[in-house]
Amino acid sequence: MLAMLAGLKNPIMNGLLLGGLYGIVGIGMSMIFGIVRVVNLAHGDLVILAAYLSFVTLSIFKVSPLLSLVLVIPAMFLIGFIIQYYLVNRVLGKDMNPPLLVAFGLSIILQNLLLLIFTPDARALVTNLSIATLRIGNFVNIPVVYLVDFIVSLATIFLLSRFFTKTYLGKAIRAASDDEGAAELMGINAKRIYAWAMAIAGGTAAIAGVLVGMTFTFYPHTGPDYLIIAFGVVIIGGLGSLLGTFLGGLILGLAQILGAHFLGPGFQLISGYVILLVVLAFKPTGLFSKG
Amino acid sequence: MLSSFAKRLYGIAIVALALASLPLWAPRYWVLIVMLFSLNLALAQMWNLLAGYSGLISLGQQAFVGLGGYTLAVFSMYYGFPIWLSILIGGMLSVLFALLISAPIFRMRGVYFAIGTWTVAETLRILFSNWKYVGYGMGLFVKPAYTLSFNTIFYAGLFVGVASVALIYFILRSKLGLGLMAMRDDETSSETLGVDIFRTKLICFVLAAGVTGVASGVLYLQNIFIQPFSAFGIDWTVRLVFITIIGGIGTIEGPIVGSFIYVVLQQWLSEYPSVSLLILGVIAIVVILLAPKGIMGTIQERLGFEILSPRRK
Repeated sequence: MLAMLAGLKNPIMNGLLLGGLYGIVGIGMSMIFGIVRVVNLAHGDLVILAAYLSFVTLSIFKVSPLLSLVLVIPAMFLIGFIIQYYLVNRVLGKDMNPPLLVAFGLSIILQNLLLLIFTPDARALVTNLSIATLRIGNFVNIPVVYLVDFIVSLATIFLLSRFFTKTYLGKAIRAASDDEGAAELMGINAKRIYAWAMAIAGGTAAIAGVLVGMTFTFYPHTGPDYLIIAFGVVIIGGLGSLLGTFLGGLILGLAQILGAHFLGPGFQLISGYVILLVVLAFKPTGLFSKG
Repeated sequence: MLSSFAKRLYGIAIVALALASLPLWAPRYWVLIVMLFSLNLALAQMWNLLAGYSGLISLGQQAFVGLGGYTLAVFSMYYGFPIWLSILIGGMLSVLFALLISAPIFRMRGVYFAIGTWTVAETLRILFSNWKYVGYGMGLFVKPAYTLSFNTIFYAGLFVGVASVALIYFILRSKLGLGLMAMRDDETSSETLGVDIFRTKLICFVLAAGVTGVASGVLYLQNIFIQPFSAFGIDWTVRLVFITIIGGIGTIEGPIVGSFIYVVLQQWLSEYPSVSLLILGVIAIVVILLAPKGIMGTIQERLGFEILSPRRK
């Protein structure tokens, strides 16, 4: 029993760290889901687009992938703003389906655009972090890149929560999400606020994309994989809090790595999906949602 | 003078006759195009029944495409069942699977339903690629399909396409269809008037699964080769969404026009599949922004012109 638990140390550690990465992948989708009430089916593709933008940046300036964020974050911020302001805002209404389908179309456009420009070859954001491992005590080996993912995600989520409670724009976004009509009476332009929210979600997708690219290889068609991960994180974590989303990520990461540990590597994704379906069926509002 | 109904009936009969006699006079390439058109039409018409009439945006129709194709391969090859029986079994297994997943899936609404169905299909995709019985990710050859002539597959495809349109037409004119229309207009008030919403939606979901399973069986007679990553891929549903949105969601003619545009574009840009998807994506977004009812929906609204009206006059 003790030996089995000791054997679980590594998978649990890796699952939690991977979960941190999933948290940042899901956070942008969670924001848009909560604030604009739209499921951005293109979120996974935005993450992968950011990874490719970083890839291009790195091929021009030979710097660390994390430094490429200086350019990638503003670019994704702008792309997010444009998508919301010129496309999604125009189809917002009582019917949930048009925004869903616009995002779906956007997702296909992004994937095929990336395929045309970058060919179907596997890419990675190469850094010397990728191969380093950190040894803690006598038992646990941690890939350094997982640790970087986790720390950057946690820091981003901390900054976001400060932003939402301390700044005018953050408060305005929350106001528009709580009650669009009342917020407009207070002089807030809800549509513009939604565009800012999507811009920030684009920024988080930029961070997620660079971390994903440092950790795994990616292809033009990898976006939907991360979309389902993001959705899993949002569903498990529930709407309402940034922390819930982060916890959702941890649960999904743990479920995947433990599934792979017990059933074999082919079952890593499946164990995540099963957890997602179970939560969807029994508590679709999420495990950590209010009410 | 003929009544407008009789005129329409003659029109449909002439088109049907022209299509059925196609292998006798048209080049083989045309026959292939019409077959692809019919099969896409059948799949799209089913997605239209779900998204356009039942309010169920399913992103998991590829689950039934894969099940239909694999059932054909397994039953006809491993057990020597006749091909057409294997295809029917594929439809029945799709129905069973739809019933099986309906319990958890129908607890989800709207967007949750969309992602839930997608996740189910993804789960199947990974299960099949880890399953020795169906040859892992390498997939299977549908060898018995080699015994069929090209024309036989064409007639099967044409039959499935025409039957799917007829099925939708009769569903919409039945009591079930009346319930669907009421539900689409106002779910709450239709329920108070006695429409059993859960049952109505479930029937549509199960029917769509069955027809999708059968149509994809015929499709894999043509494709010959089935692999989990393409059979259970989201690309199938992407195609159906584009066809239906561009043609006109919630109209019978919409998927017909949409499938035609899709097949022509796909053939025209057959060397650049990513370009044709890119163009379709752009067209779909433009349609949603400017003419949300699609090509046929907009024409019907402006001109009051319907070939197959679900309304009773």
